[in-house]
Amino acid sequence: MRRYTSALTGHGARGLALTYLSLVVLIPIAAVVSHALGNGLGSFWSALTQPEALSAIRLTLWCAAGGSLLNMVAGTATAWVLVRDRFPGQSILNALIDLPFALPTVVAGVTFYTLYGPHSPFHVNVTGTWIGITIAITFVTLPFSVRAVQPLLETRTFTAEAAAATLGASSVRVFRTITLPALMPAILTGIGLAFARALGEYGSVVFISNNLPYRSEIASSYVYSLATSGQVDAASAVSLGLLVMALVVLMGINITAQRIGRGE
Amino acid sequence: MGIVLKNITKHFGSDLVLDEVSDEIPSGSMTALLGPSGSGKSTLLRIIAGLESLDHGTVELHGRDVTTAEARHRQIGFCFQDYAPFNQMTVFDNVAYGLKVRRIVAARRKKEVDELLGLVRLSDFGDRYPRQLSGGQRQRMALARALAIKPEVLLLDEPFAALDAQVSGELRVWVRSLQRELGITTILVTHNQSEAMEVADRIVILHEGRIEQVGPPDQVYDKPASDFVHGFLGPLTTWQETAYRPHDLQLCDVDAGPRARVTDVIRLGFEVRVVVESESETTWVQLTHHEARQLDPVIGSWISVRPR
Amino acid sequence: MMHRPSLALRVAVLCYVGALVALPLGFVFQQALSHGLSAFVTALSNAEMDSALWLTVRVAVVAVPLNVIFGLGVSLWILRRPSRVSRVFDTLIDLPLAVSPIIVGLSLELAYAQNGWLGRPLAAWGLHVMFTYWAIVVASVFVSLPLVSRQVIPLLRSVGTHQEQTAQTLGAGPVRIFLTVTLRSITWAAAYGVTLTIARIIGEYGAVLIVSGNIGLRTETLTLNISNNFGNFTPYQGFVGVSLLSLVSILVLLVLGLARHRERLRHGYRP
Repeated sequence: MRRYTSALTGHGARGLALTYLSLVVLIPIAAVVSHALGNGLGSFWSALTQPEALSAIRLTLWCAAGGSLLNMVAGTATAWVLVRDRFPGQSILNALIDLPFALPTVVAGVTFYTLYGPHSPFHVNVTGTWIGITIAITFVTLPFSVRAVQPLLETRTFTAEAAAATLGASSVRVFRTITLPALMPAILTGIGLAFARALGEYGSVVFISNNLPYRSEIASSYVYSLATSGQVDAASAVSLGLLVMALVVLMGINITAQRIGRGE
Repeated sequence: MGIVLKNITKHFGSDLVLDEVSDEIPSGSMTALLGPSGSGKSTLLRIIAGLESLDHGTVELHGRDVTTAEARHRQIGFCFQDYAPFNQMTVFDNVAYGLKVRRIVAARRKKEVDELLGLVRLSDFGDRYPRQLSGGQRQRMALARALAIKPEVLLLDEPFAALDAQVSGELRVWVRSLQRELGITTILVTHNQSEAMEVADRIVILHEGRIEQVGPPDQVYDKPASDFVHGFLGPLTTWQETAYRPHDLQLCDVDAGPRARVTDVIRLGFEVRVVVESESETTWVQLTHHEARQLDPVIGSWISVRPR
Repeated sequence: MMHRPSLALRVAVLCYVGALVALPLGFVFQQALSHGLSAFVTALSNAEMDSALWLTVRVAVVAVPLNVIFGLGVSLWILRRPSRVSRVFDTLIDLPLAVSPIIVGLSLELAYAQNGWLGRPLAAWGLHVMFTYWAIVVASVFVSLPLVSRQVIPLLRSVGTHQEQTAQTLGAGPVRIFLTVTLRSITWAAAYGVTLTIARIIGEYGAVLIVSGNIGLRTETLTLNISNNFGNFTPYQGFVGVSLLSLVSILVLLVLGLARHRERLRHGYRP
């Protein structure tokens, strides 16, 4: 086995992979960290706590949380219907779930702006409000919550549920006490991925949000405005803050999911 | 000549898995590597195959030192417990794989594969995919695939463990007769002692990385070299603080020897197990169907126990 | 066996997904065709859009194979030759998933600008990356880095090594084993990953916005073209671009669905 893999992944190949990763990801991210902290922690902190920064981060956190939680419920329900139900057109529903994955963010962005903005055919105008932003985030994060849970449901044998039913539990009780806890690690993973994605979302949100500072400006938009006005250090600082938040969420979710999973 | 193993030692990290294992396996024989989980038997098999490295020691296959040779150059056939089918290929292509590697022309390949499929009784399954086959059929396909390259040595890693009892039993018998017919030096790894005894000419018993005993089935069963072998090869019970095989004890009239009370009678068809209790211990005795009928042990009655 | 989900639940889910996903999609096509088919076709031959389309294709043609080779190689390395280094690699590769496209763009700009850590030595050799085609390629590689390996690794792990080892004993060399056994056991997962990679690269916006300079007819990708059109009050042209990308997305969905279907058949799960 060793010699087989050596041939394909010898030292040369590994070095190449490392170089590739460095040139594309590691060094650029390091550059951001360097610019963020290069002038000392004080300057880093003050960039993060600028009123406009705080407002943007707060708005992004709320909308990301809202969208992720909404999809936690809707995503699980959708996965349930996809796996346990049978009706014509089900495969179309299944395919549609991947659309937010496959669709360019800017396409979603301009579409939502046109649908729910000033020229809305439904006469619904949510531009510049947290509602519009949350709708866009919900769209973008739907696949994460559905696809995190779906494979588990597909391979589940439901014998535990059957046992509970013989013990007299109602369908709702069975779902609440048996199925849901078993799915929790996957659900949490879905939320984690959704939230991390929503924190940094730009293209699908920027149009409908209108970018009004202190009102509807999301974090990534704020970073963009800093970057394009030459304030790269401040932009890096806020970026680093967002990165750390996303990583903390992902790690936290990972650990929690593992802990719950172990109890199964 | 056969297979010669000298001082084979292997560590996994800080765990010593094989400790100076040496053996000479006669050419054309069927040898079972028998032992409990963790005894190192699978690791030893993989080292012989070249799928695992060793720390030191040598492996010779029919006179050739293959210790540093790669698996693909050792001319061995290997079968896994999970059959390792090439799922994306038909049964025919599976069996033909080794021949394709050796650049055998298509016409001759077809002839040889057809022969092999006939040998393993899968002639009608050539166009099917492994997922359409049962476990026993998949294992037969794996055997045909391994035999296609005309290996000098056949290595089987717990090949029957994933099959249900009846299929496993039939396949064992069939593999045994095939091996005798073809005369290939074969090593079978198993943790099932009755499988080893049924199939092998000689049994190598491994325990915690060391060979405990080597010999033909009746020898290791009747003359165990250690307590471990004694207990592993067959059932044991104690009577008057001595270990016996349950079928080496007999039950007689209550006055004929030391007494015990019958507490359970379990009928297993031909074999009948009688559990008896004395003041100091619980013992079980294995009787034949006839003996049990003649003796008619009744639960609660007193009886005597003697070695046969 | 539990009862089927209630009709109410089914309807609720259908309404949710329909309103959230199907509705916008349908709306896009309605808008694009609102001026008739001939206007649509004319709009397709718009110079800026064609140049943007061509640029997007040129980027994908380079970036996708790069990441596929990287993804496959790394997957093999992590699973077949695990080590501390490979485990670190495994975590690092997933990093792009957590990084906002704007931060991607910023990081590349900082590294590859004239005075950046990488930009300076490159400039010394006369190579400029920022605001060129290559900047877009690097950004595309960044955002799609883990997409292939995330699909392939779990599958490779569950397929296990026994098939490859058997092929070894049958005399096959490493390249033959890779092509005839390994690759064939992960075909559909790899296809899924490759398709996601293509979709991501074609659709990247935020990162490309920063690193490309958005120079019309030079470094304006299709996504940039769309947003430019909306910014310049030519929304119809924008919608034509949007519908083009949506068509591609639907194609992508079909391939993804097919790949998922074939993978499930492989495991004996009846859809």
